[in-house]
Amino acid sequence: MTTDFVERIERIVGRDGILSDPTELLAYESDGLARLREKPSLVVLPKSAEDVQQVVRACHDHGVQFVARGHGTGLSGGALPIPGAVLIALTRLNRILDVDLPNHRIVVEPGVINLDVTRRVAPHGFYYAPDPSSQQICSIGGNVAENSGGAHCLKYGFTVHHVLGLEVVLPNGDLVHVGGSAVDLPGLDLLGVLVGSEGTLGVVTKATLRLLRVAETVRTILAAFDSTEAAGNAVSDIIGAGIIPAAVEMMDRLTVEAAEAAVHPNFPKAEAVLIVELDGTASEVREQFAVVEEICRRRGGTDVLIAQNSDQRARIWKGRKAAFAAMGRVSPNYYVQDGVIPRTKLPDVLRRIRELELRSGLRIGNVFHAGDGNLHPLVCYDETVPGQGALAERVASEILTYCIEAGGSITGEHGVGADKACQMPKMFAPADLDAMLLVRTAFDPRGLCNPGKVFPTPRLCGEVPGPYRQHPVEQAGLAERF
Amino acid sequence: MTLADISETLAAASRDRRRVAIDGGGTKREWGSLAPAADVTISTRGLNTVIAHRYGDLTATVEAGASLADVNRVLATHGQWIPLDPPHADRATIGGIVATNDSGPRRHRFGAPRDLIIGVEIVRVDGTRAKSGGIVVKNVAGYDLGRLMTGSFGSLALIAQATFKLYPIAPASRSVVVDMDDSGVAERTIAAISGSHLTPTALELQAKPLRLLVRFESIAAAADEQAAALVRLATTDGARAFVVDTAEESALWDAHDARLWQHPGAIIKISCLPTEVMPTMIAIGESLRDVEWDAIGRAGVGVLLLRVGANSARQARIITDLRARFPHGRGSVVIVRGSDELKQSVDAWGAPGDALPLMRAIKRQFDPHALLNTGRGPFGL
Repeated sequence: MTTDFVERIERIVGRDGILSDPTELLAYESDGLARLREKPSLVVLPKSAEDVQQVVRACHDHGVQFVARGHGTGLSGGALPIPGAVLIALTRLNRILDVDLPNHRIVVEPGVINLDVTRRVAPHGFYYAPDPSSQQICSIGGNVAENSGGAHCLKYGFTVHHVLGLEVVLPNGDLVHVGGSAVDLPGLDLLGVLVGSEGTLGVVTKATLRLLRVAETVRTILAAFDSTEAAGNAVSDIIGAGIIPAAVEMMDRLTVEAAEAAVHPNFPKAEAVLIVELDGTASEVREQFAVVEEICRRRGGTDVLIAQNSDQRARIWKGRKAAFAAMGRVSPNYYVQDGVIPRTKLPDVLRRIRELELRSGLRIGNVFHAGDGNLHPLVCYDETVPGQGALAERVASEILTYCIEAGGSITGEHGVGADKACQMPKMFAPADLDAMLLVRTAFDPRGLCNPGKVFPTPRLCGEVPGPYRQHPVEQAGLAERF
Repeated sequence: MTLADISETLAAASRDRRRVAIDGGGTKREWGSLAPAADVTISTRGLNTVIAHRYGDLTATVEAGASLADVNRVLATHGQWIPLDPPHADRATIGGIVATNDSGPRRHRFGAPRDLIIGVEIVRVDGTRAKSGGIVVKNVAGYDLGRLMTGSFGSLALIAQATFKLYPIAPASRSVVVDMDDSGVAERTIAAISGSHLTPTALELQAKPLRLLVRFESIAAAADEQAAALVRLATTDGARAFVVDTAEESALWDAHDARLWQHPGAIIKISCLPTEVMPTMIAIGESLRDVEWDAIGRAGVGVLLLRVGANSARQARIITDLRARFPHGRGSVVIVRGSDELKQSVDAWGAPGDALPLMRAIKRQFDPHALLNTGRGPFGL
């Protein structure tokens, strides 16, 4: 990074828009996946879309790589700094720009906190549907990058279903508008590609989101089961009855214990706790809720708790959403995994995870979005015990193999990032990855935007067997391979 | 043609630099610009099986050449469906529906193909097969090529199969017909519905005469209750409303779906903000007093379909005037059915906006020699 370049950045964002002091940089060394760390060379804090555009253009002109970062809650190292690259932190782009309730639209900057969108429109009976567990702090920009889900995406979908338009700075510094406030704008669905591209295709500077009307009635039931299989059977029966709940969440004994220790939600002590939430019109919820309650009891559910008011409902959700952080109460260290399986494969995969737990000697907690088969196994370990960290990583990786073998995915909502780039060839053939890379090349031919994330590279993953491919340096005729 | 045949044909065409057209049910040949003639036509109709219906997981993988109606007949044996109801569903193929991102009235509740597709297998122009997404609903591994294919009009790759998220078929359906004498009542009624707790699966407007069709699909008690609530809501403002169900309801929706397509004239798709649907319809009515026309609108989504008689010069003027109503990003006006003459006198897609260079860069990456459905894609892609 040359002095010229740094001076140009400083002219754009001002002295107070740059962090380069080593102690100030410390906070930016990792995102929510703290085990991957890298010191950024320079952190830039733009205040406007124009700033972002100029910073990216400067990077492009100087051939400097850059990484966009929201509030740093990501769990796959998507915002992990890259040596020699600029980290563009979007926290100062935090304004809600327009609220259009008759059309159920809101326009926000990327640094706006997810929950603040809902807070802004809640007095009028609206909300923003994607609700990742980190919603109190995570940013909309990060949600767009990761295509964030949350507990309620079973019925209402993911970020990609709720973003209508984006303003994006492309890796060459061009500012483009993708989608808009209307639907079905003709052209390639660049929105669909950008959402979930993990910051590898550009930097979002504005997002038009869809708001939903709060349902007339919401009802939540919690039931204890003596096995995860029994709880899983209840879920199958509910789906089989043609009911699509707003959320279906399951926690096992270890995660319930952890949540209890951390936030005291007063969950029953059981092998599995199932939370089912229904929303809709009063009569629909009333009839379907009776069916759900009956299924829970028939499948052996005990300690059935039906939230009687919004406080009780909030307490149930607090217990569920605190599950990750709460693991710190029962284990010095833990590894959060994120895998997906077809929901019907749940009993098989859980059995394999239990066997792995016995074989490895590491405790594995399980908390999952049971309705859509998204598992979050929490592998507990103690960093002070030599070799246990590496073992935990191998165990977590093995769980992903089970997910792939069951026909699922290596990530349901946390993203591939830096963490799982090397796992991608387990799920996709070289031809699949090649097709995806066509998109990457169209957006970012020089590979400046968050390189090394999502796709495996020989540097990170070792030489991947397959046909020989020219290195860009070779393509440019600047080097030869011997 | 089998998938292997398709792959070989594409590879050969690619080697010989021959232009390829992709054909499915042929229900959307008129949509978009006039494309140059192709050297080779590939039909997907040989790919017509439901590969897997994982009813316990609410997903299905289907081949591109199967018609939507045939697929949904298979899925119905387990009480499920792909909740899409675009025009010509008996002939329109899965591949064509995905390639055009086409949808119908139930778009209001279930979204468009891009909202339901969770995985795709494509054949690239050089014959290479590639997959993206998977068979699980929740999945963020890798770029979403499935969504990139929706609305691409086959200009990037051939869609060989697609995997969808499914929904249970609701046990009961009721529709409310709301007849209104003036547009003010219509606007207020639509606003009242979208601001209420009602959860319709379709909210359709008909221009002539001014009428709303609102569908509720759920368990019987909930559908009844919602229909009754809407009747109360509508009648307080002076509209006349009544509930229909069973055969009468099906006939009503069949007539609505066929309404524009069974008459001659250009068909224009307008997208806009939901609150612009009624004002746009009013403006159309005022400017087309001397022309034979009809329109339906997806009032909650922000889509209007306009059929205009008249000659192509007049049709072109109407399109140009409508385009002037919508700044970029706030609406679009696209020719879905129109004569060659019309398409020669006005662009079928309208202004592309500032992302066009990016779309072209993607086209170049996928199809460097511009062989695949070239000119059929939006903005000449």
